Amino acid sequence: MRRVWAVATNTIRQAMRMKVAAVFIVLLLVLLPVMGFTATGDGTLKGRLQTFVSYGLSLTSLLLSLLTIIVSIYTVTSDIEHRQIYTVVTKPIRRYQIILGKVLGVIVLDVALLVLFAGIVYGVTAWLPKFVNATQEERQAVDNEFYTARASLVPPLADVQKEVEATYRKLSKEDLATIYPNMSQEEVFKQLTNRKRLEKRAAAVGQWLVWEFHNVKVRDPNQSLFVRFKYDVSVTPQDEQVYGRWQVGDPRQFQQGAQGPGQTPVWEQTRKDIVRKFHELEVPASVVAKDGYLAVGFYNPPPLNDTVVLFPLDDGLEVLYKADTFAGNFLRAALLILCRLVFLACLGALAASFLSFPVAILFCIVIFVTGTASGFIVDSFGYMDQNISRIYTYTVQAILQLLPQFDKYNPTKFLVPARLMTWSLLGEVALVMVMIKGLLLLALALLIFSFRELAKVVV
Amino acid sequence: MEYAIETIGLTKIFSDWWGRARVYAVDDLNLQILPNEVFGLLGPNGSGKTTTIKMLLGLLHPTKGHALILGGDGTDPKISKRIGFLPEESYLYRFLNARETLDFYGRLFGLDSKTRQVRIEALLEMVGLKAVASRPVGTYSKGMARRIGLAQALINDPDLLILDEPTTGLDPIGTRQIKDLILKLAERGKTVLLCSHLLADVEDVCHRIAILYGGKVQAQGRVKDLLQQTNKTQIVTDTVSDAAVSRIRQILSDEHAEYEVTAPMEKLETFFIKTVVEAQQQATPTSGAVSTTQIGDFLTAGGRQENILDKLVSTSVSEKTPAEPVQTEAVQPREVVPPTANKDLLSKLTQAGASPQTERVSPTPVETPSEVRQEEVKKGVLDKLTKNDAANPPSAIRHPPSKDGGSGHA
Repeated sequence: MRRVWAVATNTIRQAMRMKVAAVFIVLLLVLLPVMGFTATGDGTLKGRLQTFVSYGLSLTSLLLSLLTIIVSIYTVTSDIEHRQIYTVVTKPIRRYQIILGKVLGVIVLDVALLVLFAGIVYGVTAWLPKFVNATQEERQAVDNEFYTARASLVPPLADVQKEVEATYRKLSKEDLATIYPNMSQEEVFKQLTNRKRLEKRAAAVGQWLVWEFHNVKVRDPNQSLFVRFKYDVSVTPQDEQVYGRWQVGDPRQFQQGAQGPGQTPVWEQTRKDIVRKFHELEVPASVVAKDGYLAVGFYNPPPLNDTVVLFPLDDGLEVLYKADTFAGNFLRAALLILCRLVFLACLGALAASFLSFPVAILFCIVIFVTGTASGFIVDSFGYMDQNISRIYTYTVQAILQLLPQFDKYNPTKFLVPARLMTWSLLGEVALVMVMIKGLLLLALALLIFSFRELAKVVV
Repeated sequence: MEYAIETIGLTKIFSDWWGRARVYAVDDLNLQILPNEVFGLLGPNGSGKTTTIKMLLGLLHPTKGHALILGGDGTDPKISKRIGFLPEESYLYRFLNARETLDFYGRLFGLDSKTRQVRIEALLEMVGLKAVASRPVGTYSKGMARRIGLAQALINDPDLLILDEPTTGLDPIGTRQIKDLILKLAERGKTVLLCSHLLADVEDVCHRIAILYGGKVQAQGRVKDLLQQTNKTQIVTDTVSDAAVSRIRQILSDEHAEYEVTAPMEKLETFFIKTVVEAQQQATPTSGAVSTTQIGDFLTAGGRQENILDKLVSTSVSEKTPAEPVQTEAVQPREVVPPTANKDLLSKLTQAGASPQTERVSPTPVETPSEVRQEEVKKGVLDKLTKNDAANPPSAIRHPPSKDGGSGHA
């Protein structure tokens, strides 16, 4: 271990003194505070904070990722290319210890830099409101919707398989050919399923929609709950706004056999909102029943509206409640970035174990970019013809599974809408990205490095 | 008996991407190097010397055959702990200074910080880089880098020292110093594998040599046996009267022997060292390495301040020599002399630039055993070779410089 640490400290010295790290550090030290003043977002205090946290953390993450890739590759390939490795491997140190030392050095460097820069981002975020003119309302909104960590409850997608099968059976071959030309059974099923599900989330005029949630764990009943929703409509009204009557609470207390009414309050509001945009209802958390039950009801009021109101499947409705502090969330976001950096350090070590510097850099950048756009890539394959898509499922998709999914676990996706990033999510990412994928790469790197010839062929 | 280094049918074939154009870099090499031997591996460029060393140390994998080093695999930490290696160029971390460099390698050996500190200072002193020890190694000249490279090879006080072209880029004083160091280390019971194409270096220090060409051993044996000219005799004396010379001429004529009488040339190395010492006396400033003709206390003598270290050194030596405490004691009396002698020597050198004194720097004290006598013999041979260079016939009666005690028969 002492020897591993010797290599690690040497790697840190190398990164610092060869000015590789210095460039990135100076860049971030200059850019981060400047962004605190230039990032204005939509002009509101909340927008400003969201923009800063988003850009600041993304920039930190991006630059540290690149730094990790470069340093982890450089420290290995430079030793081989400049042959310092001759004097190192001939000492009583195993080759795997050298690679472990290098990776450890890079990770220690990453942790130090991440603490520094995440600290700066956090500091600016926390102090920014003190230097900005903002109304009391804006400050209130920031406290509720930014400086917090809200857990999100999304209603599960309705199980519509039986209905879909029934509908499909009713369709004749002619129907199929006319309604769904050139489509496989699988694709027809997919379309039918989506349609049926959307039907469950559509309210015709004069109709109620009710969503039920269980296990709503509110920390403090004096706080607020937020129902975040987005309308879609079949016929867009002229002013692009629709009415809605909302009820949030525990309807079981009004049913027969209940212990009696009035146990928990029911919140009620009728409002008018622009369609296809997100809105939030602030509801006192006391409406949640003691057993964590909560129902949200939407009524499409007949005289006011004359269109069907839909809630889109992926992000039409969710219930948010404060589950943790902003600081806790920020810490987990930083740890999430660290997971990414550890993965990249292992990847760099692997690339450097058998490739030369430029090739290894290219290799890692490609993987990094692919990982950053993995969602897009997966989606783009989804539109392929069925036969090709089957081949894809067993080849490309399998490889994609091995790739990191940086975009799926993007920390700003949680901090900007003040979403709770749970420890379990972080643990899952750490397990998959670091413990499984990262260690796999590292093991491969150790294996290759241990058995390759380190000297060049000179005759 | 266990060899310090043994290769059995060692072969390395380099092939291109398609497996064609095969080059036998090393071809069925069988070497046996005994413990406590200074072995020279000679050969022109590309003859497989470095490739052999790389295979010994596990930097290259042999195509066929085995390479045993200290009875085992060179990549085994238990073995590599006892090896010091100086590659053909000093591949150092440019961003570290000399002290950090040595500290890093010391840590790779798992030495504790106290040992490291003592050894680093001793080594820096020895290689004459103490004054520039806080400068990044990247700013060093080639010779300075070579010195620090040598220092890193000695930080673990190795039982086996593998030196690949140790004297390239070094000034003659540094070269002399390394050669003296090699002899001193051999005296202490260490094995040295010296790889070079500078024949003079090898000739001065090696007990046995092997000459490689095309990856094969072309000649192998004791330097003395290989170089001795049995059909010639050399007589070296102090200055004698003309009458004595003519009498000797007469005797030789009676014997019908071809002969030549000349005053021997001073070796350029000797002259160079004298000149530099004179310059040092005038305190000419230098930004480079401080050229001392001292051998570091660290590995040779166990000077007074190095007692702890010396104990460490002797314990590691004891793995090879059976009587360990005796070894320490036995070494002491002999070795109390050189440091003081060296100091005296240095001051003498700085005072007067008398040429023959520099000769004494080389380890030719009478009390040293067999190797040194051999050294003397080699000197004679070397002088003769130098004379050959001067286009003189080889057989000669020479008038040596008054203070040169060396005389030999060849």
